[in-house]
Amino acid sequence: MTTEYIDDVDDRRRKLDLSLWRRLLVHAKPYRRDFGAMAALGLVVAAIDTTLPMLTARLIDEAQAGVGLSALRGYGFAYAAMLVTIATAIWGFIVLAGRISTGVARDLRTAGFARLQELSFSYFDTRPVGWLVSRLTSDADKVSGLLPWFLLDLVWGSSLLIGIGAAMLWLHPGLGMIVMLVVPPLVGVSLLFQRLMLDSSRLVRKTNAQITATFNEAIAGVRTTKTLAREEANLHEFQEESGAMFRYSMRHALQSALYLPLVILLGSVGVGLALWQGGIDVGGGLSLGTLVAFMQYATLFSMPIQDLARQFTLLQSAQAAAERVQGLLETEPSIVDTPEVEARLARATVEDGLAPDGGPAKITSVEFKHVGFAYKPGEPVLRDCTFRVRAGQTVALVGPTGGGKSTIVSLLARYYEVSSGAIELDGVDIRDRSLHWLQSQLGVVLQTPHLFSGTIASNIRYGKLDATDEEVREAAELVHAHRFIERLPAGYDTEVGEGGSRLSTGERQLVSLARAVLSDPQIFVMDEATSSVDTETEREIQAGIDAVLAGRIAFVIAHRLSTIRGADLIVVVADGHIAEQGTHAELMRQRGRYWSLVREHRVRASLEHPLAGVTAPNPA
Amino acid sequence: MFDGSRSVWRLMEGARARYAAAIGALVVASCFLYLAPLVPQAVIDGVLTEDAPRSTIVDTTVRLLGGADYVRDHLWVPALAIVSLTGLAGIFTYLRGRLSAQATEHIIVRLRDRVYDHLQRLPCTFFDTAETGDLIQRCTSDVETVRTFLSNQVVEIGRALIMLFVPIPLMLAIDPRMTGISLLLIPFITAFSVVFFLRVRAAFKRADEAEGEMTATIQENLTGIRVVRAFARQAHEQDKFGERNRRYQELDFRLYRLMAAFWSVSDLMTFGQSILVVGAGVYWMADGTLAVGAFFYFFTAVGMFMYPLRQMGRIVTDLGKATVALGRLSEILDRPLEPRPVAPTALTAPRGEVAFDDVTFAYGDGDPVLSGIDLHIAPKETLAIVGASGAGKSTLVSLLLRLYDPTKGTVRFDGVDVRELDPQALRRHVAVVMQQPFLFSKSIRDNLRLGRAEASAEDVLSAARTADIHEAISRFDDGYDTKVGERGVTLSGGQRQRVALARALLQRPSVLVLDDALSAVDTRTERQILDALASRRGTHTTIVIAHRLSTVALADRIIVLEHGRIVQEGDHDALLRQAGPYARLWKIQSRDDDGDGEAVSLEPTGSERRPS
Repeated sequence: MTTEYIDDVDDRRRKLDLSLWRRLLVHAKPYRRDFGAMAALGLVVAAIDTTLPMLTARLIDEAQAGVGLSALRGYGFAYAAMLVTIATAIWGFIVLAGRISTGVARDLRTAGFARLQELSFSYFDTRPVGWLVSRLTSDADKVSGLLPWFLLDLVWGSSLLIGIGAAMLWLHPGLGMIVMLVVPPLVGVSLLFQRLMLDSSRLVRKTNAQITATFNEAIAGVRTTKTLAREEANLHEFQEESGAMFRYSMRHALQSALYLPLVILLGSVGVGLALWQGGIDVGGGLSLGTLVAFMQYATLFSMPIQDLARQFTLLQSAQAAAERVQGLLETEPSIVDTPEVEARLARATVEDGLAPDGGPAKITSVEFKHVGFAYKPGEPVLRDCTFRVRAGQTVALVGPTGGGKSTIVSLLARYYEVSSGAIELDGVDIRDRSLHWLQSQLGVVLQTPHLFSGTIASNIRYGKLDATDEEVREAAELVHAHRFIERLPAGYDTEVGEGGSRLSTGERQLVSLARAVLSDPQIFVMDEATSSVDTETEREIQAGIDAVLAGRIAFVIAHRLSTIRGADLIVVVADGHIAEQGTHAELMRQRGRYWSLVREHRVRASLEHPLAGVTAPNPA
Repeated sequence: MFDGSRSVWRLMEGARARYAAAIGALVVASCFLYLAPLVPQAVIDGVLTEDAPRSTIVDTTVRLLGGADYVRDHLWVPALAIVSLTGLAGIFTYLRGRLSAQATEHIIVRLRDRVYDHLQRLPCTFFDTAETGDLIQRCTSDVETVRTFLSNQVVEIGRALIMLFVPIPLMLAIDPRMTGISLLLIPFITAFSVVFFLRVRAAFKRADEAEGEMTATIQENLTGIRVVRAFARQAHEQDKFGERNRRYQELDFRLYRLMAAFWSVSDLMTFGQSILVVGAGVYWMADGTLAVGAFFYFFTAVGMFMYPLRQMGRIVTDLGKATVALGRLSEILDRPLEPRPVAPTALTAPRGEVAFDDVTFAYGDGDPVLSGIDLHIAPKETLAIVGASGAGKSTLVSLLLRLYDPTKGTVRFDGVDVRELDPQALRRHVAVVMQQPFLFSKSIRDNLRLGRAEASAEDVLSAARTADIHEAISRFDDGYDTKVGERGVTLSGGQRQRVALARALLQRPSVLVLDDALSAVDTRTERQILDALASRRGTHTTIVIAHRLSTVALADRIIVLEHGRIVQEGDHDALLRQAGPYARLWKIQSRDDDGDGEAVSLEPTGSERRPS
């Protein structure tokens, strides 16, 4: 199914894909000056790191030779200057790295977010929200955090390596060659261990994700666990996971416990070599200062090598994240305005009575002409749908769950594109109209309405951003939401919580209904919009809804007979096609599917409120 | 903080010896580490130069290496000594890492298991009020915080202190004046680090919060993407997100600027310390009172103990986090477990008799959900419970399972107060199928076997057939090995209910409870399942909660619950004859009122279908 998208901890090492990173570098372009400055600072620091031991060497030698202290004052200034330069450079490249990494991260997020606003619904169907959020958060951070430090370590590390090598060869070619013998094993050990540690830390994270999922399951299914008396068995299974976590964490800990001593040991081999071979030469021209410098260089070597090895491993591990971010940015939305529509939209003047795209602004009829749709080729979910609605009419879509009712509505809103046939507004194919204009003309209310965190007022205002408080209130009154809102302690300023969680489903439906009313759409779409509102309230709302729907086109999906019965047209959708259509009276006479649905409906109705109103005259 | 350190101490139980050994290894390792540079010092001062001012340490070292003349001709000996000392230090460093990792990971694996186990055994009342997200946060990231504390912070603080104090005697023996100089800026570097991190804590927190807000905005936008599109509010959403994105970037960048200030200042101090050593060294070398080798030693040692000290600030400020995390964990671990009797009454071959004696129940301090329930269910009887949502039907089942204890009255199973039974033993004999059953992310086979792990393949098959789910399972590519749940296939509501029914049947219960368990199954399938169940009559007591009266009509006895009270009781025919809620409900469900006056006759009436 969707598992191929889900693996968030997939950062296996891969072959470096340079073209991928080159494409990503486009996002770093605005920061090229910062990159340049960073590289320059890296060079400066490497130069100072290289010079310091030499300076100390000469200082030692001159102090040994008995030069007066006053002659050494120059060294003091040199040291002070280097000290200040290094501190400034360090300040500089952290600030620069910060500017680049937070900047690139922000740019990636902005671009990714904008892309997500355009992508078609088919993109979202296969990708869980959490997965998409991670693309814009952890993946974007990983990629953008890597870029500046990779560059810095590349410049600083390689120039320091070259600098140290050159300095040693210049000071004493023979000894330099000998000390540099430790470089190949240092590189080998560093690369090996960085990789091993990366692999084990990936296992740790993967197991950790598994443990989180198991905790989630334990909490969500706690009643089932109890009723099945599964506590011991569950714990046993959990212990396997936590045991795996123990093993992988230990593996990682042992690798790093081994790695650092190994690097230090190799450094000491360098120091030993310098002392041994250099000591022999001390009589014959090698000064003590130079010997000390060599021993320092031998220790210094390991730092840039460790850093470079780490950065290259990180680059490989960040590749999966980079691919995912780039993949999102490069996905083209499949439903967009045609070039002709865009050209028309670009024309500045809009004539009276026309929409911005040049088509008529008023919608007087919606017609489905032999509409077919398939998510996957060869597996049609909708076939040959033909019906027509005019302004002022309500069409009720009825039929079993999964029969294709919601698909019809989604096609009208162009959440998906029809696979065959056409949907026409006053004879014009909706694909020849502006997508933005079309969607602005729709007022959609869903069975599980989504509210944004914020106040009730701000949620209703989502339908018309510049609505006055008065307008918000009127909309709420129209759908009978005003009464429950007034009863809340903070009234319209009540925070609804994340996703509207502080309101009941019925209350959320009312708020989203008010939101749709406020947007004053030409076409209303109500998908089980009042299913969780109690019967009494629904009856009250109905009058309001009728007033709202007057003069508009409405698509209503509902299970309640009372909602369906009054529709101008009832379309029975089953198994992906229109089984019957007509008015309630017509369809009841046919004794077909609609008739049997009505029959089943009665059982359902009593399911929802089995005893409501029935027990009023208490038999007791 | 005192409480915090005491709970940390308690946590370390069983691992304290390992930690002590780790500290020992660390001391040994740092001794070797600081001994290593003594070798080049001795060689430079005692072998390579003639008249250097030398300390006894130099003389001793030279003597140990074989004497000045021998060393001068065999310089590989000191080189080997350096490598050997570093190697020994390495071995003990590795041991330290290994021991402390073992100690930490053992503590953590134990903590994880304990939290998991405890969580499962908490009473249902706990989960009624707890938020899942918050609980998971505690079980995962709080445990991780404690782990970081144990594996990094405790170890790093120890390392910093040991690295600082171990070389002091050696340095004093070499040159007391230089020792003083070498330690001059140490208090300032440490203090700066600690003060800095304490002061920027707020900035870190603000950035974290801004990140959380930004993430929440993305999350909300994506969850509500249909609403965004429906109102064509893409531009508005981008503005909103852009604002949060910008705010987070600013606060995050502020952290970088703070860190830049920290690292540059602390590097200035660190390098300053090195330069002090160089300056003083040169001064004393120039007046002939300090040897080059000794200078080299101080220069090297300062580099070794300075670095860990700079990290102290970050570590010290993070200490508070571990205390908070431990506190949040103890809020779970200190909760009392589900009550169970000390000496539970044994249940052997239960008959499946259930009795409610004057039972009243309320959730928390709320209004009673059940009041004065008197109900006796005979072994092997089939009882149906009918009532509106909120009438207390499911609560009755929860009390039978002892998920809750009645506020008043007694629930008996086989004549024994359920409070005197081992809850697990009781639940093994009472199988429940809920309206929205929970399946674990395992294969379908494993899910079915949850009821009885040792169930044979035939048993599984026959249970699946009875629950009418066998065919649906066979249609999956992997059949019974198909994984369900979060990362597997999604089953429809009806399929889940049927899997749960098969699971319950495999349990071979003495009481089977169907709590609106077939609501998502179509009428015809429901009929088949009920018929199959009816043929098992006599194997167990059955309690059916349903809304469709066609379902409950099958029962031996039906009770009607209203506002937590039993208002009617009797078999279908008897209840139909009474003028009460049951008869009215029956009428509604069988009546035709499509408004066109057309009579739609329903299928066979209940009395016809009732098994005699």
